[in-house]
Amino acid sequence: MVGSKMAATASIRERQTVALKRMLNFNVPHVKNSTGEPVWKVLIYDRFGQDIISPLLSVKELRDMGITLHLLLHSDRDPIPDVPAVYFVMPTEENIDRMCQDLRNQLYESYYLNFISAISRSKLEDIANAALSASAVTQVAKVFDQYLNFITLEDDMFVLCNQNKELVSYRAINRPDITDTEMEVVMDTIVDSLFCFFVTLGAVPIVRCPRGTAAEMVAVKLDKKLRENLRDARNSLFTGDTLGAGQLSFQRPLLVLVDRNVDLATPLHHTWTYQALVHDVLDFHLNRVNLEESAGVENSPAGARPKRKNKKSYDLTPVDKFWQKHKGSPFPEVAESVQQELESYRAQEGEVKRLKSVMGLEGEDEGAISMLSDNTAKLTSAVSSLPELLEKKRLIDLHTNVATAVLEHIKARKLDVYFEYEEKIMSKTTLDKSLLDIIADPDAGTPEDKMRLFLIYYISTQQAPSEADLEQYKKALTDAGCNLNPLQYIKQWKAFAKMASTPASYGNTTTKPMGLLSRVMNTGSQFVMEGVKNLVLKQQNLPVTRILDNLMEMKSNPETDDYRYFDPKMLRGNDSSVPRNKNPFQEAIVFVVGGGNYIEYQNLVDYVKAKQGKHVLYGCSELFNAAQFIKQLSQLGQK
Amino acid sequence: MAVDITLLFRASVKTVKTRNKALGVAVGGGPEGSRDELFRRSPRPKGDFSSRAREVISHIGKLRDFLLEHRKDYINAYSHVMSEYGRMTDAERDQIDQDAQIFMRTCSEAIQQLRTEAHKDIHSQQVKEHRTAVLDFIEDYLKRVCKLYSEQRAIRVKRVVDKKRLSKLEPEPKTKTKESASEKVSPNTSQDPEEKPAAAEFPEKPLSEAQTELGTWGDGKGEDELSPEEIQMFEQENQRLIGEMNSLFDEVRQIEGKVVEISRLQEIFTEKVLQQETEIDSIHQLVVGATENIKEGNEDIREAIKNNAGFRVWILFFLVMCSFSLLFLDWYDS
Repeated sequence: MVGSKMAATASIRERQTVALKRMLNFNVPHVKNSTGEPVWKVLIYDRFGQDIISPLLSVKELRDMGITLHLLLHSDRDPIPDVPAVYFVMPTEENIDRMCQDLRNQLYESYYLNFISAISRSKLEDIANAALSASAVTQVAKVFDQYLNFITLEDDMFVLCNQNKELVSYRAINRPDITDTEMEVVMDTIVDSLFCFFVTLGAVPIVRCPRGTAAEMVAVKLDKKLRENLRDARNSLFTGDTLGAGQLSFQRPLLVLVDRNVDLATPLHHTWTYQALVHDVLDFHLNRVNLEESAGVENSPAGARPKRKNKKSYDLTPVDKFWQKHKGSPFPEVAESVQQELESYRAQEGEVKRLKSVMGLEGEDEGAISMLSDNTAKLTSAVSSLPELLEKKRLIDLHTNVATAVLEHIKARKLDVYFEYEEKIMSKTTLDKSLLDIIADPDAGTPEDKMRLFLIYYISTQQAPSEADLEQYKKALTDAGCNLNPLQYIKQWKAFAKMASTPASYGNTTTKPMGLLSRVMNTGSQFVMEGVKNLVLKQQNLPVTRILDNLMEMKSNPETDDYRYFDPKMLRGNDSSVPRNKNPFQEAIVFVVGGGNYIEYQNLVDYVKAKQGKHVLYGCSELFNAAQFIKQLSQLGQK
Repeated sequence: MAVDITLLFRASVKTVKTRNKALGVAVGGGPEGSRDELFRRSPRPKGDFSSRAREVISHIGKLRDFLLEHRKDYINAYSHVMSEYGRMTDAERDQIDQDAQIFMRTCSEAIQQLRTEAHKDIHSQQVKEHRTAVLDFIEDYLKRVCKLYSEQRAIRVKRVVDKKRLSKLEPEPKTKTKESASEKVSPNTSQDPEEKPAAAEFPEKPLSEAQTELGTWGDGKGEDELSPEEIQMFEQENQRLIGEMNSLFDEVRQIEGKVVEISRLQEIFTEKVLQQETEIDSIHQLVVGATENIKEGNEDIREAIKNNAGFRVWILFFLVMCSFSLLFLDWYDS
């Protein structure tokens, strides 16, 4: 199998892509053959399958694999004779019913059923029943459990689900009125996805989690599930080729399960790196950003039709080299890089155009056959480099549009001011402007921004502000138009958190606004950055990163010392708080139960860059930006 | 990784069958079921379209196998130095080229035919899409196989051209040797081909043949009728003619190579131009619409100006009338 030959640190995205391609190739490993005969097939998926496939394979790649049509399971589908159909669905009741219906209607010639997570025996019998009644048993060619129930967004980042986000959201887990059965359901969903993740990764991790949180419940269940699977020697998913890849690294990865409650300030934080900004400010999910473009900003004369706003959506994929390089850089750097790319593109374009005139001149010189050969060679090389140039232009356009949209938001809401201020709050340096001033300032940001700022302040102060101050703040906030429900919830949370442990500190950081000179230098750039301070990010470690650091390097720290320790491979099932393994880990997976965001991801990526040879994956049960998180908090605060 | 539960599925099928038998439920399983299955399978329309598509694919597959089989011999060329077994004469190569071309033409015609027929009698959008995609795949396959062929061809032509270029360096030293006595010429030139294994046979053969002929001729007639100067003159003229012929031949070969390259470029260009055609059509439509709009706009503006002017005239007239009437009333009253 291809998996065992890959390096042990093959990214999760590659693994999932390889698994998907193999599935599409009728579960035979895919070999690229330039003179192979075309085989065609039809792909049927449900919404879960769609979410999993869309960040990984583009429509063109699907075509390359021979897929002529890709359809949703629950849409109207016409019978297409003589075509094998590949199904990629979750084994839920409705999906199974629909598949049985398809079998009865004999829509396709042969059926390759692939279930995203394991299907239960009874449902399998339902399908068998339907196949029998439709006399289509021989048509069902293969049935597979794919164990791919998670969505990979980046090389080292994954999310559990997108469709049923509400089921496993922060709100669902932390609701005061949640019943045990509901909690069980939520935990089972999370554990199922994590299990699929480890099956695809091909390694059995060592699990650490804090006590007394939802993360602990997840850890217990996951440990149990892994243990059961390992004991079942006949059907174990971790033997054979899959384990080969894990054993090559001689070490097992570390799974750190943390709960969102350990750090509530980071999701509310205003950010300054490109990817996190796009997620915060624009409509961005599953690597696709939707922009609303207005056709023009000039005043339309009276009586003319109002300009239509076009909606454009762009895919930000790993193929996009600019995105890969700059998704973690601070925004001004991104603006400059776009300028540079644009200039280099123009230079190349100029060269190609010059070639045309050069050719025109030399064509008059007859009889010089050798020169002609050089010309044809030059022409061929120019023509073959044209697609690259076009692609580059498209990417530059894309990023120009996206960055302009982000910049507009920044200017409208003065996000740079917020960012600076919050950094100062979180690092407990002195504040030059009082909080009340910013809240009362009418044109600095939406009410949501102000709420975020205040919540961060509230969360990160050591002692709660006095009643009078609090009243003042509340009045200022309501004047600015904010909804105070999140505050209720945070108060409760803070009281609870104080009982449990000391609040997390955020480390030191300083931000240096770049001086007037650099601002003047930047006015040459197309993006008018006046009024937007160039803030330089200093390295700081968010709480999650610090926890990871402690656990990976086996440092002793009061925060992490009493984390529980699970090793599914150990024979005796009790947990000991003493980790058996004394060496630092090389590979780690951080999973946040309750939701995560790009800021933490970026922080982890920066941390890993500083350390050589370590490999960290980031996962969360759902991905939300600050706006969605505030909504959840306010719903919680209302109850 | 993925777990194959097909066996589990088959086992469940058996369980369900036995369960149904036990419950006495006739679900179409049992002995009638298998017969039903047979019956149901045969009248299923095999799909005219897909069987024809598969035929085309098998044809292209045959072409591909044919090309691959003879590829080694085709490229591995020219040298009489190599063993006799793998040699292919140019005539055979031309034959292969021709056959391949005819084959490709028939295949592309078949694909075109399929394309026109695919959309008849089909009402479902999905089936149409599916068939278009299938035809695209087949065309792509054909293109890939043709690429094999054109690569081979390009290599062959390139080799010939390169050989020409190498052999072009030879004429100067050779002309010097021709000055010497004619008997010396033939043994010299017959050695040359063996010294340069990369040199082509063609130009060498006529050269050596001509020179041997010259030698024999010179031997036969020399002392009787022609004086040494005349012999020399004839020799030089012959050399000149041979040189001219050779250079013409070289040029023709080179041009052939260039033309192959140019044809490839042409293909790329035509592709791009065709792509642009649709865009240009739409731009044309837009432009036509825009000119219409502008014309209408001009008309409207003209009207507006006229109305404006007319309006002004009326106002003036009204004022003048008012003042006259005032004067009149004033005169009438006094």
